[in-house]
Amino acid sequence: MLLDLIRDTAASADDRALIVGSDDTLSWSQSAERAERIAAGLRHAGIERFGVTVPRAADVVALLAAASATGSEACVYPPDLDADGWAGLAHRFGHTTVVTDHAASIPGATAVPLRTLEAAEPDPRPSPPAGGAVPAPWLVLTTGTTGDPKGARHDWGRLVSAVRSPDKRPANRWLLAYNLNQFAGIQVLVHVLVSGATAVVPASRRAEDVATAIREHRVTHASGTPTFWRMIVGRLEAEDADGLALERITLGGEPVSDDLLARLRARFPDADIAQIYGATEFGTAISVRDGRSGLPLSVLDRDDDAPVRLRIVDGELQMRSRVGMLGYHEAGDASAAQWRPTGDLVEVRDDRIHFVGRTTEIINVGGVKVHPRPIEDLACEVDGVQLAAAYGRANAITGHAVMLDLVAEPNTDRDALPERVRIACDRLPAASRPRRIRVVDALATRGDKLVRDGGTSA
Amino acid sequence: MPDAATTIHTTITTLLGRREASIPELLPETRLSEDLGLDSLELVELSVTLEDEFGRDPWSDGILPVTVGEVIAFYGT
Repeated sequence: MLLDLIRDTAASADDRALIVGSDDTLSWSQSAERAERIAAGLRHAGIERFGVTVPRAADVVALLAAASATGSEACVYPPDLDADGWAGLAHRFGHTTVVTDHAASIPGATAVPLRTLEAAEPDPRPSPPAGGAVPAPWLVLTTGTTGDPKGARHDWGRLVSAVRSPDKRPANRWLLAYNLNQFAGIQVLVHVLVSGATAVVPASRRAEDVATAIREHRVTHASGTPTFWRMIVGRLEAEDADGLALERITLGGEPVSDDLLARLRARFPDADIAQIYGATEFGTAISVRDGRSGLPLSVLDRDDDAPVRLRIVDGELQMRSRVGMLGYHEAGDASAAQWRPTGDLVEVRDDRIHFVGRTTEIINVGGVKVHPRPIEDLACEVDGVQLAAAYGRANAITGHAVMLDLVAEPNTDRDALPERVRIACDRLPAASRPRRIRVVDALATRGDKLVRDGGTSA
Repeated sequence: MPDAATTIHTTITTLLGRREASIPELLPETRLSEDLGLDSLELVELSVTLEDEFGRDPWSDGILPVTVGEVIAFYGT
């Protein structure tokens, strides 16, 4: 499946890069050769399911391509774990083999070095046909922001066929700002493979490195969470417009606010800016390009046989998908006819569906349900606020109180910022007003999504 | 670290100052709700401030102070 796509482009790509980055540069033909070797190694070792802790994107791409060719089910682990963390995931998801390039052993699992798999002779056998007798599954772990991650089993063929524009676009350069353990990262990778483009891997996820990668590698397509874009948009605003080549900006994984859309539109007036609504379990469901936050009400009017349908039940968005996951690990196949809660709470205003929070993030203030998103959106409208996170803290008087943490833009008076935000928040109902506002250096994130627990990161 | 009495006075004065009304003299017997009109969410803000500053506050310890003096007394000053 993936290997066929790589072979197909490699046949006419000369030495053109599939992946470029500070330590990740690999051509299409090199990627095909590596994947064929690894596929032979997987077959020789009889590995049918395995975890992956290999950090370099070029290695992961070769591994995933090899796995899709052999029908082995790969699962890329989050990169920020230690050996005990990997062991925990291996046990939880039944991986007796973990492919790694780390020296550390992994308790309870067999650690197979990537170089061992790659030592096999190339295996030019074709991949099993998509949707045929031989399945091509892969397992992706949910972010787990509110508990242990779940494993969502997908099919490579289903994901590849969901890419709407299969035309070759070799001049496109996609920023790979997500890690490949994330569904969004895999989606970017599949777009690159289907379109014959190039993936650009930044040296790190820090804003300055991402901005450098966008500029130096002339990135044309970039996808990230709103939190990600907030962190780098200020840096990009300082860049020379002629030095950037962004044609398409995609935001997903979190609700998008109007102020962020306006900032991106002002900085990149010619770029196509799209909001994506989807989930690890459902895949991409909605793409909105009208420049407004939220979703148009028309998304609720889809035909019964549409690939993805949405409805609102008790204020929560529910989804039914024929193109999403096969099912959760050890939970059987998911029914395409089954409506599932998304966990996203919404309100309908002005013919628009607005996201107000997650079911797991409601703050109960004296019996009043408070959603963090409107508070954060209001805070981010204040000049000098780069990021905001609202969350609840236990309080003896009202059960919980709203806290608000801010990250300031550079050259902002940090001492004055809390009072300016407090005044802005006077527009909110009393229970929603933050009772403590502080400025922090950074907010905790997981998978580039805000973690609303009061944690901060350096 | 400021002393508890100063922090309590400053916080209450700040809360009252947002109403753009005259701020009465804060005496030990001044009642938080009846005399100053602090509502439950303003008391939450006072308790959060004190907890952040001193690591504990009377409400979290199960005490329901009625007067300014009772809040100050909780910190033994």
